[in-house]
Amino acid sequence: MSNVEATIRELVTTKKVVLFMKGSRHFPQCGFSAQCVDILNKLVPAYETVNVLSDPAMRDGIKKFSDWPTIPQLYVDGKFVGGCDIVKEMFANGELAETLGAAGAVAAGVGGASAAAPSGPPAIKVTDAAAKAILAAKESPTEDLRVIISPTFENELFFDGAQAGDIVVDAGAVTLRLDVASASRAHGLTIDFVDASGGGGFKLDNPLAPARAPSVRSMTPKALRSALDAHEPLSLFDVRTDGERATASVKDAIAMNENGQRHLGTLPKITKLVFMCHHGMRSRVAAEAALRQGFTDVWNLEGGIDAWSVEVDATVPRY
Amino acid sequence: MSDHPTSFQGSITDAIRNSIRASLTDASVEVSGGNGHYSIVVTSAAFEGKGMLESQRLVYSAIAPLMSGDGPPVHAVDSLKTVKPSRTV
Repeated sequence: MSNVEATIRELVTTKKVVLFMKGSRHFPQCGFSAQCVDILNKLVPAYETVNVLSDPAMRDGIKKFSDWPTIPQLYVDGKFVGGCDIVKEMFANGELAETLGAAGAVAAGVGGASAAAPSGPPAIKVTDAAAKAILAAKESPTEDLRVIISPTFENELFFDGAQAGDIVVDAGAVTLRLDVASASRAHGLTIDFVDASGGGGFKLDNPLAPARAPSVRSMTPKALRSALDAHEPLSLFDVRTDGERATASVKDAIAMNENGQRHLGTLPKITKLVFMCHHGMRSRVAAEAALRQGFTDVWNLEGGIDAWSVEVDATVPRY
Repeated sequence: MSDHPTSFQGSITDAIRNSIRASLTDASVEVSGGNGHYSIVVTSAAFEGKGMLESQRLVYSAIAPLMSGDGPPVHAVDSLKTVKPSRTV
């Protein structure tokens, strides 16, 4: 067995979904590879890609391994699924979602939903406001609202005609169309329409969607005061300059200078962090940076030390 | 689309059609395209009872000689459709 054959065998048996392609998932370098990536992106959140352009031995090797003359090539659970034409057709008729079912469900972290769901249309609730907005926007009687829910639970809504393999949901006054993969992620979905000045928007509430990635949360001066008074475990970082700190400061705040940076780096990532500055802008930037470093419990003192002075402690001078 | 030079002489679409019909004798073959890129539609009873993967394999193995080596006459098959005669209307 040649080296490259062993490498391929190892890859396809240890990884659930492997796409041998030209380019990478983010930069496909051939139209057919790009089409396969688009389809896989709709069905599974994570999969392995192998760029055959970066390795001529791999490019020839995979053709021999699969006895298939073209790239891209898709493997699922160690089995050769096919090239671009087959992947497209299997996507359209729902077979690909089924093939990927087991792999997709585990990766998406939604239990067996992806695998079990295709049996029937999902229960989707469309509020009266949303139904009214959908009907008002509908221009063609042959088109219905298509709902796409990506593996990472980003939503897309647009009017579209019937597609092969569609799951059609009769939601009272309106009809919805979903591909099989989206349908598997749509059970319990509520589509609402929120009116706002300058035009409203649809609001989708999906109970299957995992909790959002952590974001910077807002803390009021009063909330910070009571947290400090209660000696809640938190680290308060002041990102202002030394000069500003000399003018006005909050007791217990750690100066975000070089020492402060170093100290931050030593803290466990679950530490509750609060960032403050003069008005809450610079501290927000610092807080976002802390999130990127992997901290998950990150707060911004809204209004900064100026609001602190007004709302909590008038002895702190304003400047 | 980039050029795909080949030393192949003669009609490549004919060569594709003939190669396929040499192994799938009942096949009706439609070939379109040029400059290395071809779209092929094959209708043959040989596909009955076979999945898409096996059916496409039959066609690819028939034209494999045209797709291999340096500067092959067929650089890419843009689309390959295999049709079962029982499915046609």
